[in-house]
Amino acid sequence: MLRLARVVSCGCMLAVVAACYLHVARLHAAGPQAPRARAASILTSSVAVSTASPDPRALLDQYCVTCHNERLATAGLLLDESDVEHVGAGADTWEKVVRKLRSGEMPPPGRRRPDKPTLDAFVTWLETELDREAAAHPNPGRPADHRLNQFEYGNAIRDLLALEIDAASLLPADESDHGFDNIAEVLSMSPTLLERYMFAARKISRLAVGDPATGPAIETFNVSRGLRQDDRMSEDLPFATRGGMLVRHYFPLDGEYVVKIRLGRNFTNSQIRAIRTREEIDVLLDGARITRFSIGGECVESDDPDPRCSGTGIYRTSPYQLTADDALQVRFSATAGMHSLGVAFVKKSALTEGPAPTLLPPRHTSSTYTAPRMDVDWVRLEGPYNPTGPGDTPSRRRIFVCQPTGPSNADACAAQIMATLARRAYRRPATDSDIETLLRFYRIGRQEGTFEQGIQEALARLLVSPHFLFRVERDPASVQADAVYQISDLELASRLSFFLWSSIPDDELLDVAARGTLRDPGILDAQVRRMLADRRATALVTNFGGQWLHIRNLKAVDPDARAFPEFDDNLRDAFQRETELFLESQMREDYPLEELLTATYTFLNERLARFYGIRNVYGTHFRRVELSDPRRAGLLGHGSVLTVTSYATRTSPVVRGKYLLDNILGAPPPPPPPNVPDLPAHGDDGEPASIRERMEQHRANPVCASCHTRMDPLGFALENFNAIGKWRTTDGTSAIDASGVLPDGTTFAGPDEFRRALLMHRDEFVRTFTEKLLTYALGRAVQYYDMPAVRTITRDAGPDNYRWSSLILGIVKSQPFQMRKASL
Amino acid sequence: MVITKKCLSRRTVLRGLGAGIALPLLDGMVPAFAAIRNTAARPVKRLGAVYVPNGMSMARWLPATEGSLELTPILSPLASVRDRVLVLSGMDNSAAKQLLNEGDGDHSRCQAAFLTGAHARKASGTNTTLHVGVSMDQLAAHELRADTQLASLELSLEANELVGQCEDGYGCAYSATLAWRDASTPMPMETNPRAVFEHLFGAVGSTESEARLRALRRDRSILDSVREELTDLQRVLGRGDRSKLAGYLDSVRDIERRIQIAETQSDRELPEVVQPAGIPANFEDYANVMFDLMLVAYQADLTRVCTFLFGREKNVRTYPEIGVAEPHHPVSHHRQRPEQLEKLAKINTFHMQIFGRFLEKLRSTEDGDGSLLDQSMIIYGAGMSNSNAHEPTDLPIVLAGGGAGLVKGGRHVRLPPGTPLANLHLTVLDKMGIPAEQLGNSTGEVAVLSDV
Repeated sequence: MLRLARVVSCGCMLAVVAACYLHVARLHAAGPQAPRARAASILTSSVAVSTASPDPRALLDQYCVTCHNERLATAGLLLDESDVEHVGAGADTWEKVVRKLRSGEMPPPGRRRPDKPTLDAFVTWLETELDREAAAHPNPGRPADHRLNQFEYGNAIRDLLALEIDAASLLPADESDHGFDNIAEVLSMSPTLLERYMFAARKISRLAVGDPATGPAIETFNVSRGLRQDDRMSEDLPFATRGGMLVRHYFPLDGEYVVKIRLGRNFTNSQIRAIRTREEIDVLLDGARITRFSIGGECVESDDPDPRCSGTGIYRTSPYQLTADDALQVRFSATAGMHSLGVAFVKKSALTEGPAPTLLPPRHTSSTYTAPRMDVDWVRLEGPYNPTGPGDTPSRRRIFVCQPTGPSNADACAAQIMATLARRAYRRPATDSDIETLLRFYRIGRQEGTFEQGIQEALARLLVSPHFLFRVERDPASVQADAVYQISDLELASRLSFFLWSSIPDDELLDVAARGTLRDPGILDAQVRRMLADRRATALVTNFGGQWLHIRNLKAVDPDARAFPEFDDNLRDAFQRETELFLESQMREDYPLEELLTATYTFLNERLARFYGIRNVYGTHFRRVELSDPRRAGLLGHGSVLTVTSYATRTSPVVRGKYLLDNILGAPPPPPPPNVPDLPAHGDDGEPASIRERMEQHRANPVCASCHTRMDPLGFALENFNAIGKWRTTDGTSAIDASGVLPDGTTFAGPDEFRRALLMHRDEFVRTFTEKLLTYALGRAVQYYDMPAVRTITRDAGPDNYRWSSLILGIVKSQPFQMRKASL
Repeated sequence: MVITKKCLSRRTVLRGLGAGIALPLLDGMVPAFAAIRNTAARPVKRLGAVYVPNGMSMARWLPATEGSLELTPILSPLASVRDRVLVLSGMDNSAAKQLLNEGDGDHSRCQAAFLTGAHARKASGTNTTLHVGVSMDQLAAHELRADTQLASLELSLEANELVGQCEDGYGCAYSATLAWRDASTPMPMETNPRAVFEHLFGAVGSTESEARLRALRRDRSILDSVREELTDLQRVLGRGDRSKLAGYLDSVRDIERRIQIAETQSDRELPEVVQPAGIPANFEDYANVMFDLMLVAYQADLTRVCTFLFGREKNVRTYPEIGVAEPHHPVSHHRQRPEQLEKLAKINTFHMQIFGRFLEKLRSTEDGDGSLLDQSMIIYGAGMSNSNAHEPTDLPIVLAGGGAGLVKGGRHVRLPPGTPLANLHLTVLDKMGIPAEQLGNSTGEVAVLSDV
């Protein structure tokens, strides 16, 4: 609190605040359209703060200090001595109090508590006091310098050089903290990482410029063993195909390339799977067929020996059955740049194809698995051979904004190229010194070779510059130590683009920011809306959504193959795709936030629809489907969410309950005490107890009950979904009982009623979402001093029904996003 | 300069492609090298630490008798290297224990304390900075860095990709690494074998020493220039902002130093290795290839200090290949149920098999007057014993390797109850020739390793 006091004393700061602080004024003006109950209490309390109806001291003394006093110090919280008349001095403590009261956790069950109006009035009064304090003494926090993480790096390269790279193969995954991997505090540099950045810079500059010295290389693309190759594997492969794969690959130069295909083998005898069945395999470049191979088939007995006929040995294996796929290679010409290379079997008959979910999945059972059909093990691409030049690629068009006509203007052209690149990469106009640094490397490359080699060297240097790899915000010289100031327009542009696109700003945003007009009336709104409409905003849902909802963990879950033979990588991918498409549609169509929980539509392909028991969806492509049955409505009906909240062998109501408390209701339960005794596996009658019966024990023990009465019912509500999200009515021999009572007394039976019960807690959901999104937007943990901003954002979004755009704009205009605290 | 090219036959690649075309660098066409000289007069010792998460099925780990080593079920995969294995029991890591009112976080604390003997700080309020202590491997790395290209090598079998898995209040770094350069700087661990390979041998698309040197020199000029840029940038920034960039500057210096050493050692021959393609799908293959890379790093003397993480604490890997379909962490909360303990022991034994195979390979790799195993000291263990109660007491620890004659294996030694694990680290460091007075909560050395 000492630091807050120092801010107050800093007079000049207040002027800065007044000039730019967009929100506090609107906060109090948030008027009649605000959600009824809350808005009303806000208005009354802000009008009549000093005469707040409940006497806060008396209320605390009556209901709280029995436990939270200096002697007992329950949860380390002392409310008997705290100064409730001046909440600013203990804002961190009071924010905790607000949270516990809003979630209904305090006073605990069994203790006396005030009636609801009194309690609500008290919390509202407390919030208003805290907000008023924050408005008078703002603390926008100070995010550390921010290293681009793996995902941001990949996007930045795409937007800087028009080059798609697989960042995950070039850079290690980043540490995450507070649920996200873009937290500045933990994004530091290490020798190992720098080595990777150096390596990536070399590779990228070579590809982007099209280094004619690029030698041939071999790249092998494995088809995941967990994928069933029964159906069309990609929406970019022709309809009448099954199996194989589609690879997006950057061809470094115009030239010749060789593709080679290896087929899957039986584990026991190493024969190519299903080699006795004739198959045709198409190789396609950007959808156009390069060649069609024929392979396999029954042995034809004749005078002329047929290589397909069986040989000798215990498996009667002929060389053909072991090596027939050696012939599956073809040489072709391709231009430099990104191409999609497809390899797929020609689909023979609709009757015998299509998903066959009764088979055991190929995972973990390789020793016994014999595919009924031929499949592709890997595809290998070699080249370039006989290269003819760097071609005309989007990357080269992006880089070479000029071409020297002779030695006299080469250096000037190089300077122009590097200035253009540096502006985008460093996200600000390039200085003479920036350009000179890069040109030194241009000259080295030029000396050893050509103009283009010079550009390549300079580009490699640019890509390891701290100005590119780090987002550094500078305190202006005029700002005093520890004061609060508004970040520059250019810094704001970077914050915006990394928030909405996980990437660098584009030229338009940079132009506006460089002109200093980004904060002009209407401009910021217009830019944000433009950016949200851009396809790059998909990053917001895949990156933020994937982490907030733990969808990223899908690729690591490993449901037990025996318990869930239906689960394979096709289903895993479909789960992920469904949720991504759904989140994207919610964001782009700007739905009210609660639709995330209630929407009666989703995105399905045939496989997923069958799994969900939904009819009349055919083919592998995903399309929007209206749900007639409400059980799958909203995110909580998604296989992705239900699977990442389960164990490999069974569901866990506790895990699902905790997930909902953490990520939907924002009331994370405290961790369990160590050395918890075992729950009896059998009931009093000696019969095995159902999970629910065993969980009832949680309520019998008061230590467990304090948290499990909040967690378990939430999880039980979803018990109709098994550990991979399939609908069920029984678990083993016990019938599923998906009824329960929320701590607030609401009863429900089944997921649909549960969803409606959750909606009664919309405010908590909106606050939780806002806190998570703010954490992600700022790249730092949301602290107690950010809570006034969170309340402002949610309050202002209320009249607009908490639509995505209103929450996102609220964050963009919030104090922590617009401002920064100077260093001490 | 001697380069022994024991490469794959290029005809293998030529077949079917037609003649007269240039050949790409194939996985596996990396040159043959030979190991460095190591003499008995001045043995080069290697240090390693290998960590397994989620505790141990103790009843199947702990030998009932002291003295000559009795191989319990989990230790049984070590039979072939029994004489080079010292099992130590009785040690605690009290730094991992929960402080008053600190709450949950045992897993993070146990892992973070394993090589540091220090207590991991839980984030509270606005104090979210990581803080534990320097780890013993990094003390050694700092001393030994002058002689090798890499000060240390950090390997892990678990990527940082999962979200929402770290304990409340504890940054994920506490369970993502074993190595701490200082109290607040975790050393990231590399998970991709291909990246490890490039880290060890350079990411140059050529196997020729000349090409490697040329690339090294170009890297050095880039690093020079980045260093200048960083210095300029730091000058204009406020004091508080320098820490992130300081880390960048340290990294630049570190790589520059490495390049210098690499240049002076450019005529040294290196062992024959096959470049791995990526992360193998099968866990056992994955672990084996990572251990192979660790062996190669020792053998070529690219580094003398390695840490290896089988999985982070609270790891939820399933092991269907050995009949354990449930995730490791829930299994480790065995509630003392026999069938759960059995499953946990299966996982523990599986890890030990993989480690045992690595020790066998060390033994069959000549180094100096003996084998690599003779010259090494590798600590293997878990940060908790009984995982059901998260106990950092009576820890399951193996010290493998002969320590160049300073460690006598084939024994089980029970140390006085409550001996800090950090005392073992201090002793091992001492035998490595690293002067260290104190590590975390150490109280002295343990005088039993060489049986004197």
